[in-house]
Amino acid sequence: MLKPHRQKPRRTVGDWILLIAVVLVAALIAVPFLIILVNSFKSPTDYANGGPLSLPSSIYTDGIANFWQRVNFPEKLWNSFFISGTVAVFAVIVSVFNAYAIGIGRVKGRVWVLVLFMIANTLPQEAMLYPLYFMFKQVGLYDNVWSVIIIFTVVQSAFGTYLLSAVFGTFPKEIIEAASLDGASRWQILRRVVVPISRPTLSVLLIFFFIWTWNEFLIPLTFLVSNANQTVPVAITALQGDRLMDVTTTSASALLGLIPTLIFFLIFQRTLTRGITAGSTK
Amino acid sequence: MKLKRTLAVLATMAAAGALLSGCSTAAPAEDGKTLKLWHFESEDSAMGIAWNQAIKTFEEETGAKVEFEAKSFEQIRSTSSQVLNSNEAPDILEYNKGNATAGLLASQGLLSPLDDAVKKYGWADKLAPSLQTTARYDDKGVMGSGSWYGIPNYGEYVEVYYNKDMFAKYGIAVPTSYDEFEAALQTFTDNGVTPLAEAGAEYPIGQLWYQLALSKADRSFVDDYQLYKNPVDWQGPELSYASDKLKEYVDKGYISKDTTGLKAEDMGTSFISGKYPIMVSGSWWYGRIIKEATSFDWGTFLFPGSELAPGSSGNLWVVPENAANKDLAYKFIDITMRPEIQALIGNNGGVPVAANTADITDPKSQELIANFNTLTERDGLAFYPDWPTSTFYDQIVAATQELINGSTTPEEMNTQLGDQYESGVADITGK
Repeated sequence: MLKPHRQKPRRTVGDWILLIAVVLVAALIAVPFLIILVNSFKSPTDYANGGPLSLPSSIYTDGIANFWQRVNFPEKLWNSFFISGTVAVFAVIVSVFNAYAIGIGRVKGRVWVLVLFMIANTLPQEAMLYPLYFMFKQVGLYDNVWSVIIIFTVVQSAFGTYLLSAVFGTFPKEIIEAASLDGASRWQILRRVVVPISRPTLSVLLIFFFIWTWNEFLIPLTFLVSNANQTVPVAITALQGDRLMDVTTTSASALLGLIPTLIFFLIFQRTLTRGITAGSTK
Repeated sequence: MKLKRTLAVLATMAAAGALLSGCSTAAPAEDGKTLKLWHFESEDSAMGIAWNQAIKTFEEETGAKVEFEAKSFEQIRSTSSQVLNSNEAPDILEYNKGNATAGLLASQGLLSPLDDAVKKYGWADKLAPSLQTTARYDDKGVMGSGSWYGIPNYGEYVEVYYNKDMFAKYGIAVPTSYDEFEAALQTFTDNGVTPLAEAGAEYPIGQLWYQLALSKADRSFVDDYQLYKNPVDWQGPELSYASDKLKEYVDKGYISKDTTGLKAEDMGTSFISGKYPIMVSGSWWYGRIIKEATSFDWGTFLFPGSELAPGSSGNLWVVPENAANKDLAYKFIDITMRPEIQALIGNNGGVPVAANTADITDPKSQELIANFNTLTERDGLAFYPDWPTSTFYDQIVAATQELINGSTTPEEMNTQLGDQYESGVADITGK
């Protein structure tokens, strides 16, 4: 007889504490989502009488419908998707090129280049707002989605370069040497060797860039003046007035704004965990 | 080859980018056919309804097309100086009144002076003097004198909302003097009901404090405080009375101590749900309370024993200096000042500035507008406590919170606010 299957391991006290802690943290994280969800389906009268925590007395979908129509939500969704998608792809491409030169090519002065990227990363967006405004006004890209795409491609690839350079710095030399012995040019090494091997890392970067750009507020708010160019986070603020706020419609808008990122996250969740746990060589 | 394909894709993307960017560079020229209009009122608010009608009338009469874009308050507030300085500027927009907002833009030369249009259309005759104050700014951006830069369509003021059912329950009559008002507060407290809905984390508490000061003040105090005509005495009879009274309200339990953490929204919903019998706040709640306070009967009155009340013109129509179709913009403003459009504001819970009283048919609205007209007739709009300097809003909130917590005395609060007021005013007037 084979070694008998071990009994279900008894849970120790530590396990239980851990489990409770995980449940608590998960509940804490879920609370804001639940409040949004509950209030999205309440009528304003219901909200005023029952407060934010009560369950809706009847399902009320006018808030969602109003917001959808008022801001022309599909248009905003497409804008956000187009901007975030383009930025994610461009920023990853730029980061790969930069990091290839810095991490693997080991160009002269690479430390200083990295320091420069670091500084660029820590610069608050508010400080860049005016210079960028004047630059893009001069070239005629003010109120144009391409201004935001260019800005975020640069911003995200600054971080991407910084991160990827570190990753490429530890790239096994033997593989590259083997490839160049086989007669591969630098371009071929990048395309055939480096990129395929680091694909998990690149996918994670792509996803992060997409979500970060999606959630950006200040620069899209400033640069995308026309309603036709606006992104989802900017559209959500369209409901906040001078002194009054409409909580239920605002909740509905938050719900609508949240769903796309949530779906995106669910689709790519496995890529994310795989990318984080993946080793550098296969 | 793969490489070539990648390059081709990149090139196509770049070309598409160039194409897209090409569209927006054309500078707008006066064509007299389109009016680019921005405002941030929601569609079913009083102003939203009235201005929609104004847009229809305008299109019928001029044959021009209105390109309307609904904006958010935040968006207009934080991006206006950049937008107005560019070719994307609209022809007309709604803008927040006050020194730090419309005044600032006017002093930067981003708004067109409207003096000629005011003369041509006779808008000055339709607006009460205290409404005109917020429409005119001098070269430093200080309101009250200088050229016209904006035209208000509606007004707003602070009054007392009360729950008639709760007043009836405890046998309290509508107070007509300040003493009766305080007696009413006391009766509620004696019966275990906290009378005043308040919010200490936002504007409401500051407006109550200012209202208390105004009950001891006259117009010259307001001119000093708001228009910097003379120095303000922060230990004088008006302001020390206000701070002492506020402290007394807390000590006697008229205001809950928990109020320091509450926002205006909390105050409004707690009044609407019938938790508190009295709310001292602005006419901007009116439409919402009509719609949502369905479980009890309610009414309003002006703060008893006070000639003055916090209030002002509403936000302004302004015309950017870079606007392409200024004449159309003036024409549109004129339409919004017509009695029929003004009546629409009045019948939907707003406060029109130039309506015929006979056109207002809704009884609740009649009460609101009658109170407003009483105020403007006695020149009673005293603006808001936080207007004098750009940082005063936060400073008032902080100071009143400390007073309510009991960490400062009324005297200390006034000394602190006085110092902050003076240094802020010095930055503006350069004295």
